[in-house]
Amino acid sequence: MTKSWEELEELQPTVLKMLRNSLLKERVAHAYLYEGMRGTGKKEIGSLMAKCIFCLSPIEGYKPCETCLNCKRINNGNHPDIHLVEPDGLSIKKAQIHALQGEFAKTGVESKKKLYMIVHADRMTTNAANSLLKFLEEPHPGTMAILMTEQAQQILPTILSRCQIIGFTPLSPKNLEKQLVEQGVNPEAAPLFAQLTNNFEEALEFSQNDWFAQAQKIVVKLYEVLKKNSLEAMVTLQENWFGHFKEKEQIDRGLDLFLLIFKDLLYIQLGKNDQIVNLSERSRLEQYALQTTGRRLTEQMAAILEAKRKLHANMNPQLLMEELVLKLQEGSSLV
Amino acid sequence: MRFVIQRDYLLQSVQDVMKAVTSRTTIPILTGIKIVATEDGVTLTGSDSDISIESFIPRVEDDKEIVEIKQTGAIVLQAKFFSEIVRKLPTSTVEIDVENHLQTVIRSGKSEFNLNGLDAEEYPHLPQISEENAFRIPTDLLKALIRQTVFAVSTSETRPILTGVNWKVENSELICIATDSHRLALRKARLETEADGKHNVVIPGKSLTELSKILDDTAAMVDIVVTENQVLFKTKHLLFFSRLLEGNYPDTARLIPNERKTDVVVNTKEFLHAIDRASLLAREGKNNVVKFSTIDGNSIEISSNTPEIGKVVEEIQTQSVEGEELKISFSAKYMMDALKALEGSEIQISFTGAMRPFVIRPLNDEAILQLILPVRTY
Repeated sequence: MTKSWEELEELQPTVLKMLRNSLLKERVAHAYLYEGMRGTGKKEIGSLMAKCIFCLSPIEGYKPCETCLNCKRINNGNHPDIHLVEPDGLSIKKAQIHALQGEFAKTGVESKKKLYMIVHADRMTTNAANSLLKFLEEPHPGTMAILMTEQAQQILPTILSRCQIIGFTPLSPKNLEKQLVEQGVNPEAAPLFAQLTNNFEEALEFSQNDWFAQAQKIVVKLYEVLKKNSLEAMVTLQENWFGHFKEKEQIDRGLDLFLLIFKDLLYIQLGKNDQIVNLSERSRLEQYALQTTGRRLTEQMAAILEAKRKLHANMNPQLLMEELVLKLQEGSSLV
Repeated sequence: MRFVIQRDYLLQSVQDVMKAVTSRTTIPILTGIKIVATEDGVTLTGSDSDISIESFIPRVEDDKEIVEIKQTGAIVLQAKFFSEIVRKLPTSTVEIDVENHLQTVIRSGKSEFNLNGLDAEEYPHLPQISEENAFRIPTDLLKALIRQTVFAVSTSETRPILTGVNWKVENSELICIATDSHRLALRKARLETEADGKHNVVIPGKSLTELSKILDDTAAMVDIVVTENQVLFKTKHLLFFSRLLEGNYPDTARLIPNERKTDVVVNTKEFLHAIDRASLLAREGKNNVVKFSTIDGNSIEISSNTPEIGKVVEEIQTQSVEGEELKISFSAKYMMDALKALEGSEIQISFTGAMRPFVIRPLNDEAILQLILPVRTY
């Protein structure tokens, strides 16, 4: 779970550079707001920061040693001067902030330094946020706050203005891919998941989801049918597609998958074989790539993107798919 | 770690330290009791991070061997289970043995428990005590000090500093002050120490209440050590640590009026009972206010009037009423709290006008003082 400075630096180079400089120049702010998508390492970096501050013998003056008592205790959540507040149910309640304030009215257990982290700070109730405000405004010497959120715009502006905001960049697909493989996801499938989402947990969910595996098959089949016998495509739509992709979101996912096939074909034609994401279908795709032109592929991709746009404009899904299939066949004779 | 211990001593210690352990804690290790075995004996520690209690069981006491240390070491065991286990063990001796790393075996007679321990290194570190800063007071005095002040601390969290009792040590005198900004309790005590260290700390009221619970009524001395973050109360085998409140305590010296316009001396019990009776009707209304007025001669009148319920009037004979005539209203609850805290059969109440705070103190005793702010009604 815990990651070293170096591992996290790979993940969020800018953030760690900022933190390093503030630590080395002893200009650590009293309150930070970490803002970034899920899975971008906010919590890990929060705990890393805690270790930087509490570590007994930091390496090069800032890196936590990970071996001293304080580092170990922070990793195990046992340090008495570090407080973690997480949503109790759906939101962070006023009582939780009160408890935190009570805690901070007292002297530290071991040192003069105290640190608190609020995960999902956007989920604070208005009351809780207002209680926290007073507390952020008049920090005791030696206390530090780390707020974390996925949606900074949902936080009270009065709180935002009192924090140093640190933006976390979304994970690069390659990085996510690596993480997924580490989590035991099939290396053949990982690139696909990484392309579809930026979110590690969501990607992991895809990998364990039957619906998703099925969806992938249907999409590939649709492409094949389009290739082989264009007349059958409409039938396939009725037989497989509509039964499986019911919700708007599901259709959106299906279109994403569909788009990735065309993207792969284009990559194959361009010779960028390392970019291919549908690894399990690779050999077949390589064959198909020979039978089409780059220009045509781009046209088809444009059609899919257009369909995606129309989907969000609430077009009837059946008409939408049928129109798309017809468009994709354009050029080939309808007899 | 391995040692054999008399169960009764262990049980007593476990019960003492359990007072500091709560199940509601965000720090997992604090659900445990730390057990440290050294050549001198066994130390148990329980903590909820606000207060920590350490209990020491010596190896030998009164020429009787209590603990047989076979190997020194330390472990943290789940408090909930450990205390239950110790209580229900079959024989009078217990063997506690930490096998490979954290696996702990508790043996007594023919029963054997295996408990998964936690690493003792992870347990919060309590401050190291330096004996120089210590001052000593007898246990019974300490308990009285706490009893007479702690009731007046604020329960509201808006000003956290007022939820504590201000302890000041100056010129070998200890002054304890508690206030919730409507009333104030002050108690002084002379210290018999030669050390003339100066301290000014605020101890959370809750910690003092807990402390007073675990102290027994003896005249034995308690060592009190003030460190940067914590205060330590040390009895023979028990160490009680409490965190302090951060911030500066408001200056209360100016609140206590110097001049007096009306002085009333009255029997404590009679007065208390009269207030209690008057508050019976006042209690229904939210403010719980009783009226106090001097009447001709040496008597006073306590009354309360709640129009929807009824009213009560009572006249009390006093020892003396000196100075101006006065009508004043105050909270019956605050008055009763104050009267209960005072010692001595006669008290003197000094007023400086109906809108000014008044002071209650036992007759001829400067060590204790209670101050109450009146309520504006007349």
